[in-house]
Amino acid sequence: MDALFDYISVNTFWTILMIVHGLLAVALLGALTHQAMSVLMPVRQGAGAAAGGGFVTRFRAVQGAGYATAVCVLWIATFIFGAWIYAKYRIYVRIPIEQQGYWKTLGIFELKEHLAIIGLGLLPVYWLFWKNARNPEYDSPRKWLTVCLAAMCWYMFLTGHIVNNVRGYGS
Amino acid sequence: MSTTTGTTSSASTSLISSVAFRTFAVVFAIATPVIYVICEMKNWPLFTYHPATDRIDLFYAASRRDEGPAMHWYGWIANTIIGAGVLGALATLLPESVTKKIPLSLVWIVPVVSVPILIYALRFFWRWE
Repeated sequence: MDALFDYISVNTFWTILMIVHGLLAVALLGALTHQAMSVLMPVRQGAGAAAGGGFVTRFRAVQGAGYATAVCVLWIATFIFGAWIYAKYRIYVRIPIEQQGYWKTLGIFELKEHLAIIGLGLLPVYWLFWKNARNPEYDSPRKWLTVCLAAMCWYMFLTGHIVNNVRGYGS
Repeated sequence: MSTTTGTTSSASTSLISSVAFRTFAVVFAIATPVIYVICEMKNWPLFTYHPATDRIDLFYAASRRDEGPAMHWYGWIANTIIGAGVLGALATLLPESVTKKIPLSLVWIVPVVSVPILIYALRFFWRWE
């Protein structure tokens, strides 16, 4: 790692990790939002609605099963990058925010960390439900589990933005 | 809606139809929020990480003077994954007639219920000063 710092500064390194974490989160958010829309407002098959419909119809007309593995991989990758930068956050971001007294900002961020690990634990069953998309026994839990994961992802994404706006890496 | 993608390997196909994996995944999903909430509220980490000095202590350790903060989150995660993994593995030993009775809706209800508990656990932060 020290050899790397001959070429880029420590601040640049952590900023790159933060940006990668954010980009992975964007991809995850997009995939989960498509899936959640597809289960909450499914497009009826054979109606030709997806082809002839507007943006919203096409947005919710995706084949949700095709996203399942990508969502799992993206959640795990985003989690690993987040957990990696969390140690630096604890020293260089959280302590200054504490000194400024933004307690509620820290609280909503701590909840984000909690949701990340709970979501991680849901991935095996989420993957199983989507890979058995023709099993009617899984229809209801698959739907609500996907909505839960999408809601968690939106919360984590927005909270990450808020904290980065309060004090990002390199501030 | 297709069941699998065209590139699904035989290994993942057998996993998809495996009763043991279904049991493991369901129990793992239910146990994860339960164990995590307990570890968070009781502050039971498997280890404590001190990021300023890169030191790791087994179980709970308080922050040391002039050595920066102590982090327990990684230790809670370790406890949660190990605990939920062990429970999931043990559940696969139960007969299918028993594991089939586990309500599948618990895989999303338990995480949803855990959220207000975690918000309460973070009450230290909900202040105006």
